Amino acid sequence: MSDSIRVAIAEDSAILRDGLVQLLADRGFEITGAFSDAAGLIESIATDCPDVAVIDIRMPPTFTDEGLRSAIELRRSNPQLGILLFSQYVETRYAAELLADGAAGIGYLLKDRVADVSDFVETLVRVASGGTALDPEVVTQLLGASRRRDSLSGLSARERQVLALMAEGRTNAAIAATLVVSEGAVEKHVANIFSKLGLPASPTDHRRVLAVLRYLEV
Amino acid sequence: MTQPETKDAGIRFHLRFRSTERTVTVSEERLDQARHVARRVLSEPFQRRTWSELAFLLISGSLSVVGIAFLLATMASGAVLAVTFIGLVIIAASVRGTRGIGGWHRALARHFLDEWIPDPDPFRARPGFFGWLQTALRDRAGWRAMAYTVVKIPLLAFSVWFGLSIWIEVFLSLGSPVWGTGGSEPDGFGVIRNVFRPGYTGLGDDRPLHRLFVFAGGVVLFFVAPWAVRLVVYLDRRLMRLLLGPDAMTARVRTLEQSRAQTVDASAATLRRIERDLHDGTQAQLVALAMRLGQAKEELAEGEEADLDQVRRLVEDAHRGAKEAIVELRDLARGIHPPVLDTGLEGALATLAARSTVPSELTVSLLSRPTPAIEAIAYFCVAELLANVAQHAQASRAAIGCNQHGPWLRIVVRDDGRGGAVLTRVGSSSSGLAGLTDRVKAVDGHLGIASPPGGPTVVTVDLPCQA
Repeated sequence: MSDSIRVAIAEDSAILRDGLVQLLADRGFEITGAFSDAAGLIESIATDCPDVAVIDIRMPPTFTDEGLRSAIELRRSNPQLGILLFSQYVETRYAAELLADGAAGIGYLLKDRVADVSDFVETLVRVASGGTALDPEVVTQLLGASRRRDSLSGLSARERQVLALMAEGRTNAAIAATLVVSEGAVEKHVANIFSKLGLPASPTDHRRVLAVLRYLEV
Repeated sequence: MTQPETKDAGIRFHLRFRSTERTVTVSEERLDQARHVARRVLSEPFQRRTWSELAFLLISGSLSVVGIAFLLATMASGAVLAVTFIGLVIIAASVRGTRGIGGWHRALARHFLDEWIPDPDPFRARPGFFGWLQTALRDRAGWRAMAYTVVKIPLLAFSVWFGLSIWIEVFLSLGSPVWGTGGSEPDGFGVIRNVFRPGYTGLGDDRPLHRLFVFAGGVVLFFVAPWAVRLVVYLDRRLMRLLLGPDAMTARVRTLEQSRAQTVDASAATLRRIERDLHDGTQAQLVALAMRLGQAKEELAEGEEADLDQVRRLVEDAHRGAKEAIVELRDLARGIHPPVLDTGLEGALATLAARSTVPSELTVSLLSRPTPAIEAIAYFCVAELLANVAQHAQASRAAIGCNQHGPWLRIVVRDDGRGGAVLTRVGSSSSGLAGLTDRVKAVDGHLGIASPPGGPTVVTVDLPCQA
């Protein structure tokens, strides 16, 4: 299923960049380009038309958040392009900025996640096809930092698990597989969560992510 | 009279006084000096500075009168009410207000005299009314401004008597053709009338000769007045610098605060560098390593169909990556604190000298071990300087000296390279020498560079042994 997905990479660490290229090529992705800074990536997008870009947040020249800046820029100019931000730290602020314009085709992952190759590939495919992926670590921080902790405590333990997986951007089917329950059970949990938190039921997965994040006041 | 012998080339003046005739030779140099002085004296009344000083005298004098009135009123009422709490509040307000007036005096000095007296530390009241009260009552700068206000009064009286009065004299005398000399009684106020007691009034009022005499006196005084004012203003400058600027202790505290801020900045920069090294180096290595192992694991999970060649390649890559990560981590740890330093500076410097790419000769003579902080600074100085030698100097040899002189540790790093090293470098290497200087200054040490173009470069670092 990942046969024809075209990926562009911007990552300043040569060792990681090469590793990613190799890994993704092995998995049947088509690499349109691998760049050591954001400028090269942005230039290439128009000609190479990748489906998804994997972007490191900290890159030259300032080593702060140019990856994020260029992701936001690319988002405006190429709304169809999926973007997977890739970082060694999670900053909820970054997630908030990135998701400000909508969550479709956005992913934000810790670099560590690449070690679980299949999960990583799956996430990349999801983002490329317009889905959303947030690192579990990001979601944990968001849930922990939320000012709505009181109302979150009204959820059952299972519901909270489902909420976290929802915020990561997973589909009901994926949540069901992760928790080893039926999809119907997940749907019931989701409905419960939405009614307990007073959220409007949203059809698509990435809208659901946004609804949850808005609720958490990211 | 005999003619004075002189070898100087100059101008001879033939003077005939009564029946004696003499020739005076004035050397060219003396003549130049005289011309210079004359030009200076004649031009002085027309200089901007002269009038600025006069304006300062008038305005700061008026301000001083206001200041002393404020001071007397508040302190008197404060003293009367001292038995009650209100008295304390009034005194505090007096101190605080006088500090403000001191600020105005500084501003006047800045504006009219171009005299930049640094501001004392700002008034930082502790929170709450009682905090304010306590801070105001203990405000050194405020009390010193009070001392200025008090001492300024006799100085002001002297300034009027000695400086301003001459200008008034000039004004009256030069105007005498218009309004007559009636005002110039000998027993008036001012240095001219009190000290010189001009005898010309004996000629009687308004005789033409008298008028001429008074007018001529005014012209002379016109060129004298600027210097009298300058003298009294000079005294005021001294007084202001003494009492309105920061005092010695505050200045020392300021220096310490600065060096502390530099130290804090330097350590923050060091932490940032370490974070960066970890982030770009070790962490990236480990992520790549985990990625390869993850790939290998998933490949192996396919059982019989696993591509063993690929797995072998992945594991080899991972193995190499792990070894590289270890080396990087070790170098990084050594950069934070070299373990060899624990055994003493001599051994640590020997390691540095041995590791240097430019052949280096080391001489160490230490009577006792400096404190660990100093040892670390000394070590990193030498490390950085040797790295500079290797990178920039194009040197064939370097020499490192580390000697104790009493309480001081002197480190000298010398190379035979092309020289031209400067303290402030722009760009990426600015953290080098400039960073070292900050580190050295933080312990009251000193770093000096002698590096003429063409070399050799000698960098001398003096550090206190105990810090």
